[in-house]
Amino acid sequence: MSKPVIEIKNLEKVYEGAVPVHAVNGINLTITEGEFTALKGPSGCGKTTLLNLLGGLDQPTSGTIEIGGVDITTLSENQLIDFRLRNIGFVFQAYNLIPVLSAQENVSFIMLLQDRPKEEREARAQQLLEAVGLKGKEGQRPGQLSGGQQQRVAVARALASKPQFVLADEPTANLDSTSTANLLDIMEKLNKEEGMTFVFATHDDRVIKKARRIISIEDGKVLSDE
Amino acid sequence: MIFKVAWRNIWRSKVRSFIVIGSIAVGIWAGLLIIGFSFGMNNERTASAIGTTIGHAQIHSTAFDIEPLSGAVLGDDVAVDELREEVEHLPFVAGTAQRTVLQGMINSAKSARAVRIMGVWPEDERAQTTLPVSLVEGDFFESEGRNRLVIGEKLANRLGLKLRSKVVLTFQDTEGTLSRASFRVSGIYKTLNATWDEFHLYVHHEDLEKTLSAPLVHEVLVRFTETVDTDEKTVELAAVLPNGMSLKSWKQVNPELGFADDMMAIMLVLVLGIIMMALLFGIINNMLMAILERRRELGMLMAVGLNKRKLFLMILLETLILGFVGGPIGIVLGDLSTRIMMRIGVDLTSKKEGLAELGVQSIIYPEIVPEYYIIIAIMVVTTALIASILPAVRALKLNPVEAIRGQ
Repeated sequence: MSKPVIEIKNLEKVYEGAVPVHAVNGINLTITEGEFTALKGPSGCGKTTLLNLLGGLDQPTSGTIEIGGVDITTLSENQLIDFRLRNIGFVFQAYNLIPVLSAQENVSFIMLLQDRPKEEREARAQQLLEAVGLKGKEGQRPGQLSGGQQQRVAVARALASKPQFVLADEPTANLDSTSTANLLDIMEKLNKEEGMTFVFATHDDRVIKKARRIISIEDGKVLSDE
Repeated sequence: MIFKVAWRNIWRSKVRSFIVIGSIAVGIWAGLLIIGFSFGMNNERTASAIGTTIGHAQIHSTAFDIEPLSGAVLGDDVAVDELREEVEHLPFVAGTAQRTVLQGMINSAKSARAVRIMGVWPEDERAQTTLPVSLVEGDFFESEGRNRLVIGEKLANRLGLKLRSKVVLTFQDTEGTLSRASFRVSGIYKTLNATWDEFHLYVHHEDLEKTLSAPLVHEVLVRFTETVDTDEKTVELAAVLPNGMSLKSWKQVNPELGFADDMMAIMLVLVLGIIMMALLFGIINNMLMAILERRRELGMLMAVGLNKRKLFLMILLETLILGFVGGPIGIVLGDLSTRIMMRIGVDLTSKKEGLAELGVQSIIYPEIVPEYYIIIAIMVVTTALIASILPAVRALKLNPVEAIRGQ
């Protein structure tokens, strides 16, 4: 049986205001190693908030999030930054690559933050870019790449730090159907061949169809888990 | 790679970065020009006063310093010769000149004025001062004759005197008795120090001795080989003086010159400070704009694990790079401009009269002052460091989630 990567218990996130908003309302969830999971739901259902909480980008109002046995809700801000660097890969909707760096440098940058040696950084960046189908594009900057290619660089960057899992927030929202299909094929391949755990927050049917586990969220609660 | 990112970030907005780098370069260029010009003007004024009239230091008897009476002499001929010999042995001393200094009155047919009468040994004055070449009319005791007088142009004009005009000098002898003697103007001088010209007149020491009945030496002027470290040299010189004698540096003889020297150093640092302040706000503005434009990217970097120390370092580097690029350009431009002006001079002939009152020639030759290059370099780095703080703090306060969303 696969070991759990993420364990969420009684997770709540309330945004205070004139009318408090329960963005995440008592979610219990376990994500195991090698999953290819989609969190789906309409806009405002809480899936992005849940993803931010899983990624340690936001603090819950209550509940615990254990990643590899570490309750990240107890970590300080600096500890969280370091934890994210070593354990979590991120893919964002708007790619968010560093425009002044080449594709290879964008991928290497994460490893530089981990203080990995230059030779290892360069070799792994090349290997990852090849894996996402960008061999020959290593020296190109984001502005010289298509949206789909940029998102593939983002996937390579997410994997560069050898994370426990990758969180992808609407990764296909800005892509055409061909680019989406390409990207999903690559991520599925990485999942199957390297056992990388992927968690998507999406309302894109193309992503949901590829997912092996689909968690529906509505009003901050898990509606279904298939 | 953090440096590479910082360097490339600078050139993301080329126009903006060029404007900031350009303003740093222009600010430093202007600062160096002001420094070169001010030093050129001040040093010329100082060199002129030292070379023409006061020397680098003056030796008097302590009694003369208390009250400059005729009897307050340095000693007899032998004592003065020994003193000069000892002083001239010091390696930094170029030469000495002895003088009789009397307080007195000059009477012309038109008017009378209080003056200081300098009884000089003309050969000494020619060797140690440039006064003999500052004559606009007549000569400096080269022509034959008795009771010759060399007077400043300004004083001559006030007294209505011309060459060969006759005047009467009144002064005290060593007994305290007033003596009178008539002199004839044989030379008219004009230095860059109008105040000196108005108060000092020169006579041959032999002509004074006829009235005073004895040679009186009140002052020994000392000229150094160069006008560098004069305070230290003055201290060293004072150590060889016998008891009963005192030494005054050129700054003490003419406190106005020394004060101008010290004030200029303070003023120049202030001017540089003001330039740096202006640059500071320019750099801060530029960096804040850069942070604002890159919120999403910075949020991503924080999300994926760029810690606060490295984020701060990246912004600090970007700011420092602006200074490190603009600074040397400004220094090179300033240095080149100063060197060009050192050759051709800055012609301020239209302000000739005013400058003459200040003891400065109408063509100013700026000077290169290497110490200020170091001061400027330190100031630029400090300015860049200070300028990076606010943008860096803004960046550190970013919430990654909000920044990534572009909020």
